[in-house]
Amino acid sequence: MRTVKILSACGTGVATSTVAAQTCQRLLAERGIPSVDITECKAMEIVARAEIIHPDLIIHTAEVPVDKLSDYKCFRVLEFITGFGAEEVADQIADYIKATVKD
Amino acid sequence: MEKVFWQKIEESLIFVDLEAGSTDEIFEKMGGALIRSGKCKASYIDALKEREDVFPTGIMVQDIGVAIPHTDPEHVAESAIAIGVLQEPVDFFHMGTNPAEGAKVPVIFVIMLAIAGNHHLEMLQKAIQLIQDQEVLWKLTQAENAKQIIEIIKKKEEKENENS
Repeated sequence: MRTVKILSACGTGVATSTVAAQTCQRLLAERGIPSVDITECKAMEIVARAEIIHPDLIIHTAEVPVDKLSDYKCFRVLEFITGFGAEEVADQIADYIKATVKD
Repeated sequence: MEKVFWQKIEESLIFVDLEAGSTDEIFEKMGGALIRSGKCKASYIDALKEREDVFPTGIMVQDIGVAIPHTDPEHVAESAIAIGVLQEPVDFFHMGTNPAEGAKVPVIFVIMLAIAGNHHLEMLQKAIQLIQDQEVLWKLTQAENAKQIIEIIKKKEEKENENS
């Protein structure tokens, strides 16, 4: 599988999005998806950043304008912050990637 | 690779039995300590408030309400963490929601992050490890003074180092 591009957004782009990105990367590797490129950004900038990066999916810990991001599958990943339910969310993301990202 | 991250944690940045009637009061007391210690710029408190109004940081970790207030690096001089255990719960809006939705979290434990730039993964991970360990989080909320908080955090770090 090619490298999966993920955009990770939070309010500042430097705190919870970083933790979410790190957790996501680790849990996807455990699910047979080792090559993941995660870019972090501010929720305010996400629409513009998505247009530039064209991610395969978006993960976010802050509210994002999902109506303007209809081209992208968005996962709210507070579970990656608390740890509780993280495995289940990672399963959903991995299933989505396996179903949509082709070589 | 043994790294003792919390060795330098400052007692002046730890608040136990913190009396606060609102999020603003929490930001003023804890943010004020970060400013006085030289970790944050004078603009930090207002920036915290503005950011929390738009992107709230309350979150339930099992049955303990936690908030992780933080703001943009331009208001921070040097990365640091302040910890607060509240005397009474204070409502924060829920992380990942729009405050207009009205989803509130009764917060008892506050971990305030001062992040000076993009590359502070270790500090973030250490902070998150504290809230992801339910037993540690519970112990932190029961601590009676700053020294106990530091002891709990150090023990947690020793455990993590043994496991890694």
